[in-house]
Amino acid sequence: MSHIDKIDIAARKKVAEIFYKKFMELNEEISKEKPPKLEIPMRTFANTEFDISKGILKLGIKKIERNFLNMNESKKFMQTLLMASIIYQALVENEYPTIRDLYYRGKHTILYKDLNGRLKEENTWEEQSESDASIRDVEVMLGLLREDMLILSKEKGKVVGNMRIRSGNDVIDLSKLGHGAYAIESTPDLIEFLDYDAEMVLVVEKDAVFQQLHRAGFWQKYKALLVTGAGQPDRATRRFVRRLHDELKLPVYILTDSDPYGWYIYSVFKVGSIQLSYESERLATPKAKFLGVSMSDIFGYGTKKAYLSEEERRNFIIKAKDLDIKRAKELTRYSWFKSKLWKREIDMFMDKKAKLEIEAMASKGLKFLAFQYIPEKIQTNDWIE
Amino acid sequence: MSTEAEEKIKAQEKYREMSIAEFFAKNKELAGFSNPTRALYQTIRELVENSLDATDTHNILPEIRISLKELEPATEDKPAKYEVAVEDNGIGVPPNEIANAFGKVLYSSKYVIRQTRGMYGLGIKAAILYSQMTTGQPVFIVSSMDSSENIYYRKLLIDIKKNEPIIIEEGQLIKKNNWHGTKVYLTLEGDWTRAKPKVIEYIKRIALISPYAEIIFETPDNEIFYFPRVTKKIPKPPSEAKPHPHGIDIEQLKSMISFTKTKTLLEFMTEEFQSIGEVTAKKFLESIGLDPNMNPKSLIEKGNSKLLQTLSAGLRTYKGFRPPRSEYLSPIGEELIEVGLKRLFNPEWVKAITRQAKAYEGHPFIVEAGIAYGGNIIPSEEPVLLRYANKIPLLYEEREDVSYKVVSSINWKIYNIEEPMPLVVLVHVASTKIPYKGVGKESLSEVSELESEIKNAVQEIARSLRLYISKKNSEHILREKIVTISKYIPEIARSLSILSIHPDKWGSNGKNIDKDLIEKLIKIVSKSVEFPKIDGKEEDPEKVVRSVIANVKLEQ
Repeated sequence: MSHIDKIDIAARKKVAEIFYKKFMELNEEISKEKPPKLEIPMRTFANTEFDISKGILKLGIKKIERNFLNMNESKKFMQTLLMASIIYQALVENEYPTIRDLYYRGKHTILYKDLNGRLKEENTWEEQSESDASIRDVEVMLGLLREDMLILSKEKGKVVGNMRIRSGNDVIDLSKLGHGAYAIESTPDLIEFLDYDAEMVLVVEKDAVFQQLHRAGFWQKYKALLVTGAGQPDRATRRFVRRLHDELKLPVYILTDSDPYGWYIYSVFKVGSIQLSYESERLATPKAKFLGVSMSDIFGYGTKKAYLSEEERRNFIIKAKDLDIKRAKELTRYSWFKSKLWKREIDMFMDKKAKLEIEAMASKGLKFLAFQYIPEKIQTNDWIE
Repeated sequence: MSTEAEEKIKAQEKYREMSIAEFFAKNKELAGFSNPTRALYQTIRELVENSLDATDTHNILPEIRISLKELEPATEDKPAKYEVAVEDNGIGVPPNEIANAFGKVLYSSKYVIRQTRGMYGLGIKAAILYSQMTTGQPVFIVSSMDSSENIYYRKLLIDIKKNEPIIIEEGQLIKKNNWHGTKVYLTLEGDWTRAKPKVIEYIKRIALISPYAEIIFETPDNEIFYFPRVTKKIPKPPSEAKPHPHGIDIEQLKSMISFTKTKTLLEFMTEEFQSIGEVTAKKFLESIGLDPNMNPKSLIEKGNSKLLQTLSAGLRTYKGFRPPRSEYLSPIGEELIEVGLKRLFNPEWVKAITRQAKAYEGHPFIVEAGIAYGGNIIPSEEPVLLRYANKIPLLYEEREDVSYKVVSSINWKIYNIEEPMPLVVLVHVASTKIPYKGVGKESLSEVSELESEIKNAVQEIARSLRLYISKKNSEHILREKIVTISKYIPEIARSLSILSIHPDKWGSNGKNIDKDLIEKLIKIVSKSVEFPKIDGKEEDPEKVVRSVIANVKLEQ
């Protein structure tokens, strides 16, 4: 690192202190010859709660004790400590490891003697899935996200719009990136929002549609910050969207395919994922609105006219597969999909057994999508929350 | 020889007026001399058992030297010729008895009940007869008693027709040292190649059961099997006992009456039987309607066979007699069985038990059992069974034996013993009358009292073994637990050492592993484990913990 910016250094110092404090406690327990244990909030569905007031998925209060003296937990205990020590070391030494780096840094061979006195070998971990699990343990144990710990992951999300940010020591104008876009960095909390001229955030599921809307000049015309998570959004994109909503008070609209998968992507932005519910507190945007494509957009409902003609429906609609039906049924179990509008949406899907890709709207004409469909829906509040 | 065989012999003598030696010569399979292989085995066996009877029964620590030499190799129509020589340090034979003791079948001075290896030395005479018949060579005996100033030697043959010794050569030497004992040289036809496995097995088993003996065996292959003495403890020798009335049959009764010096039946009862006082004798005689004052000899006179039968039946069934006395028995003892099993198998675990004396048909008996487990025992589908009767190993007819029936019916799984099992089960039956199944004296009958005693003995030890194995298993599980946990101690200490350096104190020197942390973790893991006590000892957990991480480099 040629130079370290102030935000970065401050973040490191704060997080390193949290590590130090927590593990000195363990050190002291060991000095008193007490059985070493770590308290880790449970990361299971059973310990996942939907916080109605906040509208997000949260980890419950259940904690597990990871005891070194329990032979079923000894290895995980070691792995958690090992991971913590590597992350701590990287923090103090101003490094930005990726989760892959952490896997390699921690992977080494432990030597020991078995009961017959033979020298045996065992790796600290074999698969990256093991070291990733240790990262999650450290996250929940310390109440920190990997982004807080300056751990990098592959950048996936993108943003364009009338906005200037500071990333590291650079000021970046998100409106001056040509046909490209700003890749949302792994540590979105280190981004400083400088100024902006926008009235809403539009998140589109698909990168291709993002590019089309960008080239069509959508964000200029409607004063939008255009974001994509390119499919299932990564944590950085979700955190970035959350910050836009929280700090700039901008409404967030989400545009996905019209199918259970698209709904789930919306759900992840809105309430968080079940697997990673511990991060929802900081990643979820409970007020995010599902803009479309909705079933009523395709088929119409009541007085609402369908956006597609009979012939277009014949051409664009894809028959739902068994897996889609199964997913839809699963979604009805979650409380945030139990609202009246969502019930109507899912019922229609079950009834028609039809799904639609957002590209279908674009093939009706990019202008239709960018300048008619999206603005009209926003203006008429034709969205589901 | 079983009583059955003896009776057969006696019966033959009676009816055909054939000498007992002649009968023996013609029915050699009865005494275990059916072929050259068996004959060689049997000859060694008879001599060794005679030697043991001449030593341990008289409180002498036995030193037995067995040597087998091939004199002539086998030809197409003749088996090989061998010289067997067995020497002991026993009491020796009085010089005037040597010829009869070795040269007259059924020679015995008195009629008593006693737990001995052989019966009346019949076997040795069979061996001599077999030798004489196959090679024509005389037996050569050298013997000296402790008190004697001379060493006596005799070379003799048996006159088969007359059942009398023919002395070929005799003499005496002045004893220059304090040697006492007997050495017997026999020449016979045999088949060593075939007999070898059994003979060696026999010697091993004899050594097992007599760990207080020193045994040397020189084979014709110039091998030497040497079993040193591993203990000086000798089992209490058996003492002679008067017979118990329940165990006497009509033939024995007749024999006793003919030998007795008593004048009245009452006196006969109290003098010739064990544990019968005047009161009991009177009550008994009254109950069968016999006159206490009648002369016992009159019962064997002609015309009195009814009365004799009444007495015989009464003796066997009368409930008022005290149970047979067991102090006449000489068990090997738990300690010696354990020592013997340890020596031969070097097992992981061994235990023996001597049961209380019991009786069947008026004959007292004691069952002893031993189990050896693990160690050098080669695992197999069923336990190795070592059978002994009156300290003699039984090698043949295993599946006919009551012990086999008992041992093979045990479900070893309930004792935590998995197949294949490294298990040796030893069963010893000591009795004044061993209930042999056949004339070969190689297996014991399924006498119910005996069977249940064997079962109780084996099961009692098996229960101890189960306890041992389950403790051992739980100890093993704990040891594995220590390994599973302890192997991470260095890594945890290293990680925690790093995490315990404050960011402000982060320096180049700061990343060494904290040795105190390792010591504390070792203490914590050690404290968390408590090993079970096995045979009064328990493992130190800390030792195990340290051994797991010993030689593991702690520096990065």
